[in-house]
Amino acid sequence: MNKRSSWSLPYLIFLVIFVVLPLILVLVYAFQDAQGRFSFENITRFFSDKDALSTFALSLEIAILNTLICLLLGYPAAWILANKKYNRSAVTVVLFILPMWINALMRTLATAELFNVLGVTLGKGTLLFGMAYDYLPFMIYPIYNILSRMDPSYAEAAEDLGATPWKVFWKVTVPLSIPGVISGVMMVFMPTVSTFAISEFLTNNKIKLFGTIIQENINSSMWNYGSALALIMLVIIGVTSLFSNDSKNAEGGLV
Amino acid sequence: MKKFLAKAYIWFLLVILYAPIIFIIIFSFSESKVLGNWTGFSTNLYTNLFSPQAASATSLFRAIYNTLIIALISAFVSMILGAIAAIGIYNLRSRNKNVMLFLNSIPIINPDIITGVALFLLFIFLHVSQGYTTVVLAHITFCTPYVVLSVMPRLTQMNPNLYEAALDLGATPMQALRKVLIPLLRPGMISGFILAFTMSLDDFVVTFFTRGTIGLETLSTYIYADARKGGLTPELRPLMTIIFISILILLVIFNIRKAKSEKQLAK
Amino acid sequence: MKRLFTLLAALLLIVSCTSDRSKYLKVYNWGDYIDESLIGEFEQWYYEQTGEEVKIIYQTFDINETMLSKIEKGEEDFDVVCPSDYIIERMLREDLLLPIDRDFGDTPNYIDDNIAPYIRECFDKIDGSGKNANDYSVGYMWGTAGILYNKKHVAEEDLGSWDIIRNPKYANKIFIKDAPRDVYCSVLIYLKQDELREGKITLEELMYDSSDASIEAVENYMKEVKGLVAGWEADFGKDQMIQERGWINLTWSGDAVWAMNEADPIGVELGYYVPDEGSSVWFDGWVIPKYAKNPKAAKYFINFLCIPENALRNMEVVGYVVANGGDIILDAIQDEKYEAIDLTYFFGPEADSVHVNPVLYPDQSVIDRCEMMHDWGDETPKLIAMWSRVKGNESSNVVTIVIICAFVALLIVFALRRSISKSRRGAATKKGKKPVKK
Repeated sequence: MNKRSSWSLPYLIFLVIFVVLPLILVLVYAFQDAQGRFSFENITRFFSDKDALSTFALSLEIAILNTLICLLLGYPAAWILANKKYNRSAVTVVLFILPMWINALMRTLATAELFNVLGVTLGKGTLLFGMAYDYLPFMIYPIYNILSRMDPSYAEAAEDLGATPWKVFWKVTVPLSIPGVISGVMMVFMPTVSTFAISEFLTNNKIKLFGTIIQENINSSMWNYGSALALIMLVIIGVTSLFSNDSKNAEGGLV
Repeated sequence: MKKFLAKAYIWFLLVILYAPIIFIIIFSFSESKVLGNWTGFSTNLYTNLFSPQAASATSLFRAIYNTLIIALISAFVSMILGAIAAIGIYNLRSRNKNVMLFLNSIPIINPDIITGVALFLLFIFLHVSQGYTTVVLAHITFCTPYVVLSVMPRLTQMNPNLYEAALDLGATPMQALRKVLIPLLRPGMISGFILAFTMSLDDFVVTFFTRGTIGLETLSTYIYADARKGGLTPELRPLMTIIFISILILLVIFNIRKAKSEKQLAK
Repeated sequence: MKRLFTLLAALLLIVSCTSDRSKYLKVYNWGDYIDESLIGEFEQWYYEQTGEEVKIIYQTFDINETMLSKIEKGEEDFDVVCPSDYIIERMLREDLLLPIDRDFGDTPNYIDDNIAPYIRECFDKIDGSGKNANDYSVGYMWGTAGILYNKKHVAEEDLGSWDIIRNPKYANKIFIKDAPRDVYCSVLIYLKQDELREGKITLEELMYDSSDASIEAVENYMKEVKGLVAGWEADFGKDQMIQERGWINLTWSGDAVWAMNEADPIGVELGYYVPDEGSSVWFDGWVIPKYAKNPKAAKYFINFLCIPENALRNMEVVGYVVANGGDIILDAIQDEKYEAIDLTYFFGPEADSVHVNPVLYPDQSVIDRCEMMHDWGDETPKLIAMWSRVKGNESSNVVTIVIICAFVALLIVFALRRSISKSRRGAATKKGKKPVKK
């Protein structure tokens, strides 16, 4: 069977060209100035630009808020859906997952239009609402998955030992569902930190997020500064994802 | 009482989740340019969508066509590449295996804007003119990891002796591959294909950065460009309705079949 | 399997190889800025005129700076592009353009036949380090910058000035074009109106004014406006005005005309005015970048668009006015419902009293208080930075630092907890106990 390990070679080459090399290029461009010489000017420019920094902070703030909102709204929903006492219908679960498959841009636009019709001024509030709306299914789905597959014997054992339902929930259910929660948090936090089209449409361009400045810079051919910004985002993502790597069993896969 | 609260909460969330969608669906049946202004029932938007004359309809259809073709090619290539890769990775020694799995997970963890910008820089660096090819390559890049992750569990769950047994019984490695390995992996490959297809269909950011300047539009980029001009244009309303209904039907069919097979298993 | 893969890869490569580049014409234009049916007709016309085949690849942009940077970088090989006046200036200074010769063989030269004298004059004024813009570009469309407003919801006494964008009565109903240069010039004109009236400075001088003092003054003014703004629009402003979600829009005359025409049938009445203090007049023109691979088809394309009938069709579809003058166009635009105005600057001496839509073709008196904008060269980043600060998020330094630190702190806390639980589990396994993990 070991001859077969050579089958991974084409993919390795593919990954090196299309995954590793591009990231190295981002690194290289980030530390170059317009003439191609090595320079820290992009990084220093970011840290000295009050506007870029506050955009960065705002994106973090919105991402954290959005994740919290999705978590607070989504966990109870997932728990109710997975609880046989309250929900026996698979259709309800499907209804929650269905929006994920509609083009995200379309959903965002629909939300923005609805706000327009209701006369709600587009701004930070609508942005948070719209984002929560977009990403809620992504939070509910992994938590629901792990809750519905959870071995009930843990909870039953705790009950037998005299724990109140409240204690069972906090001491047994929640800790066991942490992998799902982390999965959900990752699936919500990371796209939110890096999004750009959504904030454009939900705030009529009034709020600019970090993803937007990266996109503007790349589109205006300021590749060096854009790469530096992308690099900074990459660092944040890399650090936060270190937490999920342990619980995402790499061989366990998605199915 | 608790049950009532629970149900109410769920329904409350569902209402919020579907309000914009239902809103658009309702207004796809009215011709008014201004959303919120009901000007009477009409299916004109639908007929306009399918009529070949309207210039905007053709560019929309071109975008949809591009989206489907790109998704099909990317998903297919990803499926093959991913399956081969999964078999190869499975057979690696533990340390190499972990390295490959880590590399494999990078496109999944990376936000799409990073993937998009990085690939954009790659194509600039290689002086490849950006267009169809670059978009397909980019899609393959972020789709294949999902295929690998879909096929791997099949490999780990598989009885490793089956392959050996086939060889012992006289099959050539090729035959053993085709008759033993592939059928076992097929469910994983198919679900990987579907996953890759979906990811490619829905992608916006990566396509946005890698499509170059030849005017290549996919559905997402078309909607983005259109929306910058005037929000959700009337022609997009019937499109959204159609997409919604088709997905609904697909999911219902899928769930019915799942329920049926579960019933059969119970028997 | 491997063979299949290589086959597919080969197919992809074949598909990607474009055939002979000289058979293509890459056009880079503003979005929604042409009658699209003309594109196919050009291919036909080109074949008739030259016997050669050409296929147009039509790409659009919506921000000048994006387009400029693509041309500057040289990675793209567009054949014909439609930049605005100050970008043409910059391209000339940076030597990015090919001259447009008028050698069309048997085909008539529609370019020089029809370009209006006013346009020619303005292009003369373009400061292209010695090169005359008329040799390197051909005017396409032009217009003014001004205020589009909703007649029902905006009081008449508030009209007439740029300052309407700062009027708190219309909070959250104001849309501003996301065009730093145009907005800057408009505001600066307003701020310096006294000096203009007294003749202490000219409008032309103001258009070159990139002093720190002026930038700061405009920035402070805009910061007051910011709280009242409903959106910074690149293109969706006219739609918002039609839907009455906005009542005031700082925009261009062409957008205004388009909006007014679309709003009329649904009962929404819009108006447009060029403020009394003065304003800017802008031009878009076709140029051929020096990286063009098909300059011949490019200049034929420009010529084609200058044919009066085609120019009229573009005007019809796009809503802006073309830079072409001439009798055919003058006849087509007249409509008795408008008051008579003086358009000699554009159509020549016979047009001193013609009934034309004054929003489309401003009367001489309006033109007198308008001036073209100029490229700031190396001072441009100051403008972009100011605009960024105006539109940007205004959390103070303290809040920013607090948020970032809080985030980093959270991460560190999580990391510590994880490493502690990991070592605990490691110790447990060492003792032979199986870790409880789900």
